Amino acid sequence: LKTAFSEPNMAAAMELRCWGGDWGLPSVHSESLIVQAYAKFSGAKVKVVPIDWTWKTLTATVPELLCGDSAVQEPTNILNYLRKQRFNADYELTARQGADTMAYIALLEEKLRPALLHTFWVDAENYANLTRPWFASRSPFPLNFLVPSHHANTALSRILLTKGEASLHGITEVEGKIYSDAKECLNLLSYRLGTANYFFGNLPTSLDAFVFGFVAPIYKASLPSSPLQSHLRQLDNLTSFCDNILAVYFTHTMTNTISPPPPVQETMDANLQKLTQLVNKESNLIEKMDDNLRSSPQHKPHRPDPKPSLASEQSSTPA
Amino acid sequence: MSIKLFITLVSTPWPESATLYQPLKEDQILLSDCASSLAVQAYLRMCGLPVQVVCRANAEYMSPSGKIPFIHVGNQVVSELGPIVQFTKAKGNSLSDGLDDIQRAEMKAYMELVNNMLLTAELYIQWCDDATAAEISRPRYSSPYSWPLSNILAYQKQWEVRRKMNAVGWGGKTLEQVYEDVNQCCQALSQRLGTQPYFFNKQPTELDALVFGHLFTILTTRLTSTELAERIKSYSNLLSFCRRIEQTYFEDKSS
Repeated sequence: LKTAFSEPNMAAAMELRCWGGDWGLPSVHSESLIVQAYAKFSGAKVKVVPIDWTWKTLTATVPELLCGDSAVQEPTNILNYLRKQRFNADYELTARQGADTMAYIALLEEKLRPALLHTFWVDAENYANLTRPWFASRSPFPLNFLVPSHHANTALSRILLTKGEASLHGITEVEGKIYSDAKECLNLLSYRLGTANYFFGNLPTSLDAFVFGFVAPIYKASLPSSPLQSHLRQLDNLTSFCDNILAVYFTHTMTNTISPPPPVQETMDANLQKLTQLVNKESNLIEKMDDNLRSSPQHKPHRPDPKPSLASEQSSTPA
Repeated sequence: MSIKLFITLVSTPWPESATLYQPLKEDQILLSDCASSLAVQAYLRMCGLPVQVVCRANAEYMSPSGKIPFIHVGNQVVSELGPIVQFTKAKGNSLSDGLDDIQRAEMKAYMELVNNMLLTAELYIQWCDDATAAEISRPRYSSPYSWPLSNILAYQKQWEVRRKMNAVGWGGKTLEQVYEDVNQCCQALSQRLGTQPYFFNKQPTELDALVFGHLFTILTTRLTSTELAERIKSYSNLLSFCRRIEQTYFEDKSS
């Protein structure tokens, strides 16, 4: 009785603060991508609010999920929070598959993240030609001078602290190792994925979200120099994996099409159906209820002007 | 690796005088180093390669990478389990040759899980938990040295480890959260192991050596609280796994 009305209409609105998108991706930032992908996979309705051009580019930890009074940070915590709100993309996994998920995520963190950070933030050519201009152009004055270098310093120190072998070693000694580790990691992911669409069966899970978040930026960014990108482009199943997720889950977000919002329609129909089952199973009542609901106050925002509501429902980046 | 070095590596057999260096066992060595050292010892025993364990107070400084343990074989010095596995593989000894690509991917993923969760948790408990750091880690770490060097080295090490914890996002965690992470890691390992004797069927691999090193050390080391060991004890298949490896490969050694 309760769930028919409470879930879609009365669930507190969830807002996700992320970096904006580019290069064909909904976000250029790995962690933001992970959370956005998981939200799509699990059917969670989150409103994506880019932090571009705001002071949050320096002050906020991104991605951040805001729901009512609570604020959750870090992809793992956000995914746990979404699962507790019954948005669970891992529902069908066996315990063993859940264990494998943990293991592969650890592999990504240990073996791929250092090279990902290096490619975007430490490699001089990439940083100067792609990363710094992008982040500087998305930060308000005068933060455009501070934001990129702040992230670059964080990235460099993280690489040195976790992979640097002694405090005297500089970045060059570890570069070879982190890139060979990253290439091996991509190969291992490719073996594991094989010819399947997703890592576990026919539906994407949190592991798919993590792999997508880490791999898609390397695949899609217009990096001037990247042996890692060249290596990745040879692994066809991984590139198809990314393209497939973008096509299935992210097309309407990025193309900004103005059309009647299908998800909202389906939600309203589901409500109406449940309502008629409760009250009466005769078909003429559906029309009566339909008219009543459409003219009732709570649906007013949807009727008169489809554009603003579409923008908020579809969670698209600001035009 | 140059061709000359490669040929030298492959052609020279494993010498009898191979030695493994670690800090002093009774007074100095800490939980995380002991676990890494035991993992390497287990791996070498599984390969059937003899090695002598030598304890030196300055083992950490002798190591080429600053990490414990390291082995001295012929005129090569190699540290840490990953490079040691590659080194022995170049000499023709490998435990994971029989695995196919997907299994090898799984094995490496689970090894990273142990490194990412268990090892990081051990470091956190040793150096970020004030009680443990003050009562156990700092005194032990600095035991071979006299004051004021002992104080300086201990605090320097603590500062280094805390920086690393902050960089990987563990700085803000509470001890309870760390115990819970360890629990989840053990649950994943327990699920993966199931009822098999080893992680990949009947033959042990480097993953078994690594898991054994960490779990056995946690179970047999006295810390300020037994919480960590209790979490592991709740998984009976992991306990019998440790006992099995201890009995098969370490029977002449008292724990």
